[in-house]
Amino acid sequence: MTRRSNNLTTALSIAALLMAQPIAALAQADAPSATTAEAPQTASLTLTFDGIKTPTGALMVALYDSQAGYESGKAARQEMIVVTGESATRTLQGLAPGTYAVKLFHDVNGDGRMNANPFGMPTEPYAFSNDAKGSMGPAKWDAASFTLQAGANAQTIHID
Amino acid sequence: MDRRAFLFAASGLTAAALTPEAVYAAAANSAPDWLLATGDIEADLSPQPMTLIRGRAPEGLAGTLYRNGPAKFRRPGGNATHWFDGDGLMRSFRVQDGQARLAGRFVDTPKRRADTAAKAVITPGFGTRGLPGAHIGDNDDANAANTSVIAVGGELWALWEAGSPFVMDRESLATIGPKAFSPDLAHMPFTAHPRIEPTGRIWNLGQNGKQCIVWRIAPTGELEKAEVIELPRASYIHDFTATDRHLVIVLQPWIQDHFQLPYAASLTWRPELATQVLVLDKDDLTKRRVFELPAFFFFHLGDAWADKAGSIHFDACIDPDAGFAATGATAILTGQYTKGPPPRLVLISLGADGLATMTPSGGTGEFPRADARFAGSARRYTTHSDVRSEAKPLFQGVAVTDWQTQTTQRFDYGAHQAAEELLFTPRPGANEEFDGWLIGTTLNLKARATELHVFDARHVAHGPVASWRARAALPVGFHGAFVKAA
Repeated sequence: MTRRSNNLTTALSIAALLMAQPIAALAQADAPSATTAEAPQTASLTLTFDGIKTPTGALMVALYDSQAGYESGKAARQEMIVVTGESATRTLQGLAPGTYAVKLFHDVNGDGRMNANPFGMPTEPYAFSNDAKGSMGPAKWDAASFTLQAGANAQTIHID
Repeated sequence: MDRRAFLFAASGLTAAALTPEAVYAAAANSAPDWLLATGDIEADLSPQPMTLIRGRAPEGLAGTLYRNGPAKFRRPGGNATHWFDGDGLMRSFRVQDGQARLAGRFVDTPKRRADTAAKAVITPGFGTRGLPGAHIGDNDDANAANTSVIAVGGELWALWEAGSPFVMDRESLATIGPKAFSPDLAHMPFTAHPRIEPTGRIWNLGQNGKQCIVWRIAPTGELEKAEVIELPRASYIHDFTATDRHLVIVLQPWIQDHFQLPYAASLTWRPELATQVLVLDKDDLTKRRVFELPAFFFFHLGDAWADKAGSIHFDACIDPDAGFAATGATAILTGQYTKGPPPRLVLISLGADGLATMTPSGGTGEFPRADARFAGSARRYTTHSDVRSEAKPLFQGVAVTDWQTQTTQRFDYGAHQAAEELLFTPRPGANEEFDGWLIGTTLNLKARATELHVFDARHVAHGPVASWRARAALPVGFHGAFVKAA
């Protein structure tokens, strides 16, 4: 139940989980790497984000390459994607094949943070890979993780 | 396992093939008649005429009684296990030109959508643990919008106590969605018992353990101010009260001391801690006084007022402990009830000398309501449910208590009726307190039909001046609002 619990408020501080790394890192991660030549053993991942309701701010996307990283908030890649419409896309290059998961939130007001109400409930949209849903916290690694194979991979995530 | 328990247990296993009517029919020999009060409604009710069965509508009475209450508890894959966790059904009883019409529409909440899709009550609630598959991202994903209703600025707000108001259309009862008073206050709790000043300004609370948001909302529904304060203890707060100058927050010793699902299991009855009453200055929430009273449990309070000496008075419907809220309201969904006395109606006084006292009315009561034009200032009258046999969990009568003469007028609908809340509406042109009508509903357990009743507020003991009967038997609801015809 989401009501009245300090414990639960802590559990629901998805903001903290998503934002375990400073926003400056996100901005740096925005530097394109698309010119890197694709070696056969590497993978690319094209992420498409659909269902954006408010065309402002940016999507703050974190890619994780392990369960431990996912749960501790240590991202393998971070991307900031400026929102201009109902959908957005970004291709990540040069990834090692393996198991990954994505967390993201829509920084609607562009303040660089995942906003929450005074009791810690998120007030900006967030989502996970596989469109996995959490309950009173982020989606579990098992639900959000997916396999990246050598070559081109794609995933669509619905947000808002 | 007795026969009744077996039937209901069995119905849970095979309910996919059973309608609620069939279950009731099968259980008819052993289930109590009052089980109809927590029955399931399967679909919205299109507007339909009610039949006049007694008297006639008073001249000058025109408007709509909106009432909210849980009306869908059971699903094939799992039921709500607490009365407070059914889906909110908004009812409208429209009185116009001597006729009455009924319509009803479920509040379209994420909870109702998720539970409907899962064919099970998967969403956790006040006393329902929930099942795997629930996705609770914020409070409004669990919002049952099933407790009360107020009309604000042309809208209708279906209220729960731990999430946002759900905005509905007054005419069609269509759900518009959860109300965010500002983007940064989305999904904050807003209790089902706001206190409304005669100007229309709304005060309310929303709680998270010891943290409490104090809402001040303009008559138009716009946010004037919201401030988070710290309470002395994490009591369960269903209702609070207010004078013209003060907020009065009664902190009963049912206290959240840990968190587990369902939420009610997180609360512990601690009578040794007694009941505290926190009084805050509306203009400066840092100005506070704390009074102490013996331990009691309550759901509902009446509007408060201050006398010339500065003492604050308000009525309360109190129980010796939290037993009904914790377990009784689970048991009644399966027709079980542990006999016990009904809540007592008392007047609480917070003296200017710092001492608090409690004066029994001598009677019982629940769902106290008053003349809204006098909210926050001195008043005499409280209307409330009354007359309850120890053998049933529901009241069968209504009353008006006069705090000035310390007397109560009662009307007993009869043992075949489940009485619901009465609301006062003034006679056109009348200015005196309680010069007007009381309007409210019952569930007639024998006729298996919901009824609408109007009383002369000064003569409730004479019985209804008009009664209408619907074709439908709606489960007993909680709270309502009467909106006069424009």
